[in-house]
Amino acid sequence: MSAATARPPAAVRGVLGRFDELLGRPVSMRSLALLRVLVGPIVLLHLRPFLADALAGRIYRDAFYEPYAAWYPELPRAVYIGLLWLAAAATVALSLGLLTRLASAATFAIVAYNLFLSTTHFHNNRAYLVIVLAVLAVAPCGRELSMDAWLRRRRGLPPLDPRAPAWPLWLLRFECAAVYGASGMSKLLDPDWFGGTVPWQRVVQAKAELDAGPLPGWAVSILTDRDFQTGAAKLVVLTELFIACGLWWRGTRYAAVWVAVIFHVSIQASAAVEIFSVLGIAVLVIWAVPSTRDRVLRVDPTDARQRRWRAVVQRLDWLARFRVEPGSRLEVVDRDGTVLHGAPALVLALSRLPLTAWFALPALLLPGVRRARR
Amino acid sequence: MTPKLTVVGRRVVVLAVVVLQLGFIVRGYSSDHKPFAFQMFPESSTWRADVIRVTADGRRIPVERPWAGYRWDELVGEVGLKDPSIRRHADAGLANQLAFLRSALDWVAENTPRDRDTRYLKATVTSWHNADPPRVEVFRSRVREGVR
Repeated sequence: MSAATARPPAAVRGVLGRFDELLGRPVSMRSLALLRVLVGPIVLLHLRPFLADALAGRIYRDAFYEPYAAWYPELPRAVYIGLLWLAAAATVALSLGLLTRLASAATFAIVAYNLFLSTTHFHNNRAYLVIVLAVLAVAPCGRELSMDAWLRRRRGLPPLDPRAPAWPLWLLRFECAAVYGASGMSKLLDPDWFGGTVPWQRVVQAKAELDAGPLPGWAVSILTDRDFQTGAAKLVVLTELFIACGLWWRGTRYAAVWVAVIFHVSIQASAAVEIFSVLGIAVLVIWAVPSTRDRVLRVDPTDARQRRWRAVVQRLDWLARFRVEPGSRLEVVDRDGTVLHGAPALVLALSRLPLTAWFALPALLLPGVRRARR
Repeated sequence: MTPKLTVVGRRVVVLAVVVLQLGFIVRGYSSDHKPFAFQMFPESSTWRADVIRVTADGRRIPVERPWAGYRWDELVGEVGLKDPSIRRHADAGLANQLAFLRSALDWVAENTPRDRDTRYLKATVTSWHNADPPRVEVFRSRVREGVR
């Protein structure tokens, strides 16, 4: 067979070419840099019970454990405990962005090693954490919001390009959607779940705790009602599937992020899920469009109130959404060139900052803001 | 210009991760522990078990009673196996919980060297899968070497 005949057909080459372009496209790593900062404390929370046990002289193999595979290496006790503390130190360095590549690789390697030591270590939130750490270990996420970048500046070296091939970001987006999609799909396919039996039985099993909790009697009565749970089950399944799908399209992304935050907060309030809620909310930052400073915030520097807003935006703009420029009045120029003034401009600005977005996003639906954005 | 090897490497890594993740999700429908399958709050199933030690002379002693300096609750760690006689929720599903119980019986049998009496451990398990009728199963650990 000649080389010419061995080549794939033009259509396949075209698809592969577009796929390769998508994976290799240089995009901003800002969201992964922010995620890196946020993940540090989450990893420490994850490590806390292991470290507490180690301080008390206990490790996993002092009680029932079950290796996934007989060949999986187990370390001497002192080395294992040392690794846990090394992971804690690496996590702090990861969050600070100090020797970021080394810190991210070490954190990922140790947390993953610990997870795979025993089936008893496995929880969905820990698996998700390992996935996030794997992506942070392969992505150049230390070029911004990091001590590494600060040290470069101090040495007078030019900053490194904050853009990099997009594939780690796309992979993490896929994994993020997979978490919600797999969970929603498993409930959709289970007649006991979708029909409401599982959630109804769970709240009935927890009725004593509900009665003792802060909820009023009528709320407990609704929650333990079979018909209510039959409907609520559908809502839960649709919520998870909506988040999984809605995150992919710009038209539904903000709604999906908003719903996802409520979803995680309600899970946190009703179940023991270790770090799942904080991790799930933190990972949502990766759905920001991977380009930076492509919106403009103009403020009148002579107006004290506008200067305060400028300070708020500058301090909270962790995803680097805005270029801040002096102007004659408060206005925001959106990515598509739309110019907003006054309150609608503020609402738009606040809806693009990670800390205020959840509160400001619903305000985008107000008629005044919608008119201004047309 | 990106080297061809880098381009192909990226493609392979991304496709491998996607295929692997989808594989884990599918496998989650048949495996006990469902790693990386992300099936959250899967069941309302509950279970309880009478776990006993059967000694060489035929006595059947509940594990709630400490023996040879061992306590069941300390031996089984934090995987939902403490106080097995009390009916409780199977957090990650019945298959997961009962797989832990089966393995824990073996682990306890093999990791209690001061115990020179017990031949094996036995659990009589009653489980309720969601709203299904109860099901009774008996699990036994491996017979301990050297105890007759």
